[in-house]
Amino acid sequence: MPPPMPKFSNSVKLKYVKLGYQYLVNHFLTLALVPVIITLLIQVIRLGPDEILTLWYSLRFDFLQILGSSFFVILLVTMFFMSRPRPVFLVDYVCYKPPASFRVPFSTFMEHSRIILSHEPKSVDFQMRILERSGLGEETCLPPAIHYIPPTPTMESSRGEAEMVIFSAIELLVNQTGIKPKDIDILIVNCSLFSPTPSLSAMVINKYKMRSNIRSFNLSGMGCSAGVIAIDLARDLLQVHPNSNALVVSTEIITPNNYQGKERSMLLPNCLFRMGAAAILLSNRRSDRCRAKYRLLHVVRTHRGADDKAYRCVYEEEDPEGKVGISLSKDLMAIAGEALKSNITTIGPLVLPASEQVLFLLSLIGRKIFNPKWKPYIPDFKQAFDHFCIHAGGRAVIDELQKSLLLSPEHVEASRMTLHRFGNTSSSSLWYEMSYIEAKGRMRKGDRVWQIAFGSGFKCNSAVWLCNRSVQTPTNGPWVDCIDRYPMHVPEVVKI
Amino acid sequence: MVSPNEETLIYGTKVSTVFPGTLSGQDINQEPTNMDLAMKLHYLRGIYYFNSQAMRGLTTMDIKEPMFTWFNHFYTTSGRLRLAESGRPYIKCNDCGVRFIEAHCTKTLEEWLEIKDEEALEKLLVPHHVIGPELALSPLCVFAGQTHTENLGLGLLTMFSCGGVSVGLSWAHILGDAFSAADFMKGWGHAMAAQQPAQPFKPAQTNTKPKTSPSPPTPTHDPLSTKQVGQVGDHWVYPNSCKMEAFSFNLTAPQITHLQSKLCGPLGTKQIPVFETICAIIWKLIAQTRNGPEPKVVTICKNDSGPRKNGILGNGQVIKTVEAGFSILEVQPKELVELLINRAVDDRPKIEDAVERDNGLSDLVVYGANLTFVDLEGADLYGLEFNGQKPTYVGYKVDGVGEEGLVLVLPGPKDEGKNGNGRKVVTLIMPENQVAELKSELKREFSIA
Repeated sequence: MPPPMPKFSNSVKLKYVKLGYQYLVNHFLTLALVPVIITLLIQVIRLGPDEILTLWYSLRFDFLQILGSSFFVILLVTMFFMSRPRPVFLVDYVCYKPPASFRVPFSTFMEHSRIILSHEPKSVDFQMRILERSGLGEETCLPPAIHYIPPTPTMESSRGEAEMVIFSAIELLVNQTGIKPKDIDILIVNCSLFSPTPSLSAMVINKYKMRSNIRSFNLSGMGCSAGVIAIDLARDLLQVHPNSNALVVSTEIITPNNYQGKERSMLLPNCLFRMGAAAILLSNRRSDRCRAKYRLLHVVRTHRGADDKAYRCVYEEEDPEGKVGISLSKDLMAIAGEALKSNITTIGPLVLPASEQVLFLLSLIGRKIFNPKWKPYIPDFKQAFDHFCIHAGGRAVIDELQKSLLLSPEHVEASRMTLHRFGNTSSSSLWYEMSYIEAKGRMRKGDRVWQIAFGSGFKCNSAVWLCNRSVQTPTNGPWVDCIDRYPMHVPEVVKI
Repeated sequence: MVSPNEETLIYGTKVSTVFPGTLSGQDINQEPTNMDLAMKLHYLRGIYYFNSQAMRGLTTMDIKEPMFTWFNHFYTTSGRLRLAESGRPYIKCNDCGVRFIEAHCTKTLEEWLEIKDEEALEKLLVPHHVIGPELALSPLCVFAGQTHTENLGLGLLTMFSCGGVSVGLSWAHILGDAFSAADFMKGWGHAMAAQQPAQPFKPAQTNTKPKTSPSPPTPTHDPLSTKQVGQVGDHWVYPNSCKMEAFSFNLTAPQITHLQSKLCGPLGTKQIPVFETICAIIWKLIAQTRNGPEPKVVTICKNDSGPRKNGILGNGQVIKTVEAGFSILEVQPKELVELLINRAVDDRPKIEDAVERDNGLSDLVVYGANLTFVDLEGADLYGLEFNGQKPTYVGYKVDGVGEEGLVLVLPGPKDEGKNGNGRKVVTLIMPENQVAELKSELKREFSIA
């Protein structure tokens, strides 16, 4: 049939045009300079060696002048290298894997829900609908206190959960990297909803008997994007302190935050949030350069808190019955989209190849000057990055980002599978996703990874990593016993 | 309803759910056999007592954690009942789980055992769950609690102040007979010791169709051992016309020998089996004490003498009926014994037929339709071990028993290093208006304290 053929050949032609354009723009400098260099070289060769020597002597260099100029040049070069930011390496990271006894089968969750909310069948049905469409699997985990009917969230059980996940993660990291806790110079712990006194970072320091001059920080209340904020903070500190390393622990403690009421907007987190933690070791030491897995290229943070709607879209408050929960507004997806737009506008110039930037600029100019109705050009981020780690906040978030950034299912596979296996583990989900990509053997040297996280506030933070050495499929890790089952098809609606 | 005593005895109750640690799989269903459905209105209530030595160094978590591995093998118990389109119940193995209740007791184990005779108090330690009113939400097994939590199984772990522990089990008979329940509990001990089960695990048959009775077309007589009950719907409780009460007594080996010799002379000890001796004596006693017609038909339940397959739960026990053509009051117990041994008729094909005819919709009662005797000698009740220690005492009762009553003969606590007939525990579940007289007669007859 005639119509498909022209389309196909058209798209092929377009593809080659696009490729040609990209090559031209991305290598513009090279393409421009190469003819100039060749011309110069030809000229020099034409001159011949004697002529060159004559030219050299005619310049009449004085010894002092030579010394002075060389010092000047060396000074400039040194200043240039000193002013460059210290590279920050990610030596290694681990993710906590909860034991199977903490898992939450759908049927158990729904039965508990029916018993606890026996007077609110509508809320129970709502929870069931959420769970069916959530994209979670039957192996996500909740802490022991939440398994009771009714849940028994006490301070003690919250601390118990914190100790269990954080210490397990740190033990794993210590074993894997060989670092001694006494050698850690900077400690940053982020956990949004549980903030006891003394802090969780103090708890870590106490357990591992760390040095008294350790620089410790505890970030709380910053939502699911706090993981990237912690990395940003670590990076800034590693610029100021030479020859240091930083331990970053990202987690979310579920025990104290189980909502026990019936407001629908607040029941959502109960269905989605699950146990998880990650521990990351960063360093700026030269000695770690060879064994580090990744190098941190960029961190871009965007805060939309100035807008009232964005500020209130994830809000912890009391419901009419006085029970505390986190209410999610219906505009969440729209606000997330806005925040993402902000973020990629900032990160675009840093990471996109010149070809995409030119197109984006042209589209921007066109929209501003000629016709505001033109569709904005969405840069093709697939050219800038090899892997995407989108915070597994929920199925809707991943769907939205896949649509906005025009990503293929393979790009969002890590996010979807992490959501299925581990649920929404908040700030640590990015690391589970990274771990998935490694477990699948897809991480190669030179690959660029983009981690995007959204969080209350409303914030959109992203981090860009460069893979420093090809990562072999790990023999331990949270995916080791189940990676063969993935990727799996997660149906739109699961029948419970 | 709760007496002041009860409130102060048990405190700190926490309810949770235990389920298989590994995903059982999607859409796995277990079809109960006809025998399973015939037993559906009965519930086994078991209690296991462990002293503080057995619990040394063990916390509740140490006991609870291995349950997740244990249930990987017995995932049927974590399922829930559903009704097929035909109305026939089946078990959906959806990992919903078994209810597990933890509680503490103000008394020590010794103090508690002294007041054990009070049935009401023992009720505190054993969950009394039933299936229904919501069929789909009822657990098949409960490890404690006097609540309306509806599981197929339930368990209650009560920690005594001395460090000893009691484990109460509530078990829906549709899952399996007492022999299966005992094997099931043994598996827990194995999981705690991190051993593999004695037999390689054979998964419960998935998606099996109920086996039709292999015998030739039987006459359309109702089985003798059962009684039809009016439709109970989704609430599987036997609508008993009278309240049943349970009581137990122990029999030592010398007492048993004495009974056997009383019946058959000094040589009788070799000739007649223990179970039939006890049955005969009790049968006659009940005929004597009962107001109303004497029980001419009795049902006997025993272990299937064929090799039992460990790891598979089911109602495989042998159910036989014995019909006396003469008045019980006028004969010697010895003749009753001969009747029990020689004239017992296997009623199982008839039961299966009856259920098959209705396609599993009929509601039957087996225990208590006639005076029923159950021989639990073959059940490895003391096989559950904590820290390598056997329980100090194990008791089993049945709920949902019919008005004719039920007598359970259980193996007693094993004495150290003794072989052969050890002690026995006899538990009777009778209408409460008959209990007092029966107790005094039994005391006289068995010369027990």
